[in-house]
Amino acid sequence: MNALEGLTVLDFTSHIAGPFCTRLLAGMGARVIKVERQGGDTCRFLPPFKDDQPGPDRSALFHYLNADKESVVVDLRAKASRNVVSRLLALADVVVTASSPAQETALGIDYATLSAVKDVPVISLTNFGHEGPYRDYTLSDTVLYAMGAEMYSHGLEDREPLKLGGTAALLQCGAMAAVAAMGAITAYEIQGIGQLVDVPLFNAQVNNTDRRNSSIMAWRFSGRIQRRAAGAGAGLAGGIYPVADGFVEVTASAGNYWRRFVEMVNDDALRDPKWENPMTAMNPTAKEEADAIVYPWMLAHTRGEAWEAAREARAMLAPLYTGLDIWQDENFRSRGFWTEIEHPELGTLPMLDRPFILPDSPWRVDRPAPSPGQHTDQVLADADFDDRQISALKAQGVVA
Amino acid sequence: MSTLPLEGIRVCDFTAVWAGQTATMYLADMGAECIKVENPYIWNPMTRAASPRMNAALAQMLPPWIAGHPPEPGPRPWNNSPAFMHVLRNKKSFTVDSRRPEGLAVVKQLIRISDIVAENLALGTLDKLGLDDGTIQSIRPDAIILHMPAFGRTGEYIEGRGYGSHIDGVAGSTVLRGYRDTAPVDNANIFAGDYWGGMMGAFALMAALRHRRRTGRGQVIEMAQSESSAHMFPQAALDAAWNGRVHGSLGNRSVEGLVPNGVFPTNVADSWLAISCRNDEEWANLVAFMGRPAWALRPESATSSGRAVHEDEIEERIAEWTATRDRESTFHELQRAGVTAGPVLNAAEAAVDPHLAATGAWQRLPATEDYPEVDWLRPAYRFSVSDIDLREPPCLFGQHNDYVYREVLGLSEAEIDALAAAGHIATTYAPEALNG
Repeated sequence: MNALEGLTVLDFTSHIAGPFCTRLLAGMGARVIKVERQGGDTCRFLPPFKDDQPGPDRSALFHYLNADKESVVVDLRAKASRNVVSRLLALADVVVTASSPAQETALGIDYATLSAVKDVPVISLTNFGHEGPYRDYTLSDTVLYAMGAEMYSHGLEDREPLKLGGTAALLQCGAMAAVAAMGAITAYEIQGIGQLVDVPLFNAQVNNTDRRNSSIMAWRFSGRIQRRAAGAGAGLAGGIYPVADGFVEVTASAGNYWRRFVEMVNDDALRDPKWENPMTAMNPTAKEEADAIVYPWMLAHTRGEAWEAAREARAMLAPLYTGLDIWQDENFRSRGFWTEIEHPELGTLPMLDRPFILPDSPWRVDRPAPSPGQHTDQVLADADFDDRQISALKAQGVVA
Repeated sequence: MSTLPLEGIRVCDFTAVWAGQTATMYLADMGAECIKVENPYIWNPMTRAASPRMNAALAQMLPPWIAGHPPEPGPRPWNNSPAFMHVLRNKKSFTVDSRRPEGLAVVKQLIRISDIVAENLALGTLDKLGLDDGTIQSIRPDAIILHMPAFGRTGEYIEGRGYGSHIDGVAGSTVLRGYRDTAPVDNANIFAGDYWGGMMGAFALMAALRHRRRTGRGQVIEMAQSESSAHMFPQAALDAAWNGRVHGSLGNRSVEGLVPNGVFPTNVADSWLAISCRNDEEWANLVAFMGRPAWALRPESATSSGRAVHEDEIEERIAEWTATRDRESTFHELQRAGVTAGPVLNAAEAAVDPHLAATGAWQRLPATEDYPEVDWLRPAYRFSVSDIDLREPPCLFGQHNDYVYREVLGLSEAEIDALAAAGHIATTYAPEALNG
């Protein structure tokens, strides 16, 4: 049995953050009814595409985010859509939205409107929440990371600050919304509580454990500001080193991890007790001296060889992988990180499998993402519309 | 009626560093009684502070995020590290030396009355203590156990050791962040996977709790953090798997194809403005706002694919334009003109950001002997009914010994006296832990 079997999610989200939240719920077995605009979720038009050919059903990102969901196309701007939303709401245990506060109201998917019909939890992802001076401002992955997270201290001192790769900041916010959704689902199922759960993307990044919250606390405690290129604090040998076929990340802080690192590099010069003094690690000349010994060892090993040696010595070293490495790595494959989806048009395609293993209530990737409106008829029938009513709604352009 | 969804759920918490402690924090926020098991004889690296001997001089030599303690860290620096205190909110801390038989018995008593056992220690640490999965399940048959190994509990890489930066490396994060013209050697450490792992761990635990409510069965969750974190970069993994393409760093450019998308200088040194045109309309708004400069009026620039051809030039011209402007006013004016833009806020600026202040993001907590009165962050989300909030200050080391030994475990005075005499019950580390 899947963990969220029997749970129905009414999903008004689009783009990346909201759909990732509902994808996590679908992956655990919830039925997710994706309400799409005419023409489809904008994410359908985001790369990468199968064979680099764009098309509404060809985006790998869209399939990743929307597998196992059902698509119903509804024009929420049409007045007659209100009745459709009400009937869909009758099927739902939880609602997830990702529109601006103004759009929520205009489309009739705000908490006040929805809860008047049925008081289920409404998880509302917004850029900046439902109040406050930035309430109506917009965000992209980059602007979100700039304002909310520790972008300021990521990068080189004399250059511009850097974002994370891909759209990690948006996906993180989707994960945060999924945590909130699980709490709200629990409150609903156990305590019968319907409520608005406000998930501002900005706040989700300010709460980021990746040094943002820490850096703010550091400023409050000490008045010090985390700056770029402030050093890794990683000890005598530390940071990213080139190896024969790429790069590895190393931490060899004073104590056990230094001793294991020395064991791995196996050079007597590094066994001198002077290296054991924790203050030595603070001395840049000492790091240069150590690196002069470390670099040749690194360049004589591939990533795979270096990682193997590190595992043997229990040293802190790991390779820098690309997406292709993750795709080709035998260990990722044999552990079940990858699976396949069968798409009627695109054929059999690789897909990322579970982010975690729950053996008694497994993650699922059963079906590819739906085409726009693929499930409109079925879902409307489930919501007690008869064939004649469905045809009429289609003729009016309310659904498709 | 309670307004906390996880009220009545108890977590026996062995988590360390960030990912694990963040995961259990979300459960504590939601009302779970999260009891942190701490050992006065073992200094757990990077879990309560960078060093148990942190002092003012050492702190100054380390980066603020890890060592921005109060100016005088004092005798208990493990109670005032900026890196770790915030993940200890709403939790309880008690101490016991679980390596000794009477200590292990105490831990087993706690497990008997716990719903969840969570850990992200080096692989096999709990097994060595005598707390393998089978033993835990024999004590508490419906226990939900969360393991968060770096690279998995099976397979070739199980012996791999890793902090956040190593996990990020294998998860594909590190090669994707950097400048377009430098090797990844120039990257500073960041730890995207710690945040991610915390959220994924909490999500998985709450899903498992629902499954247990329906079936009565617990389970052993395995979350390999490298695998979980690879889900942060689906575009790179899937473009490789579908099209054979390798993604490198795009700098601040957009994998979504937004043009322009970047971070630009303003009229004050090291003060930056991020600008994204999320669609062609936002580009048109930006061009109008800049006063329709000639360089922006090429017909092909009306579409993002047309702009991509001239992306270098567009970025240079925007940088020239922003370089003479005030960051704060340009941010607000661009947003009001329909362009997605925002300042790169450093820690001090974020701490006093007017929107966060106006929307109640912070809560002031009183001073303790170890840290001053300051504002602390509340959870990222606001529930309109459930009281999910910063309710209890971060737990100090051993702060809840009395509560746990007396009320939770129900030990007698004599038993408590004996454990105290044997050094299990403490609010400071033993000298051997500090010198280890």
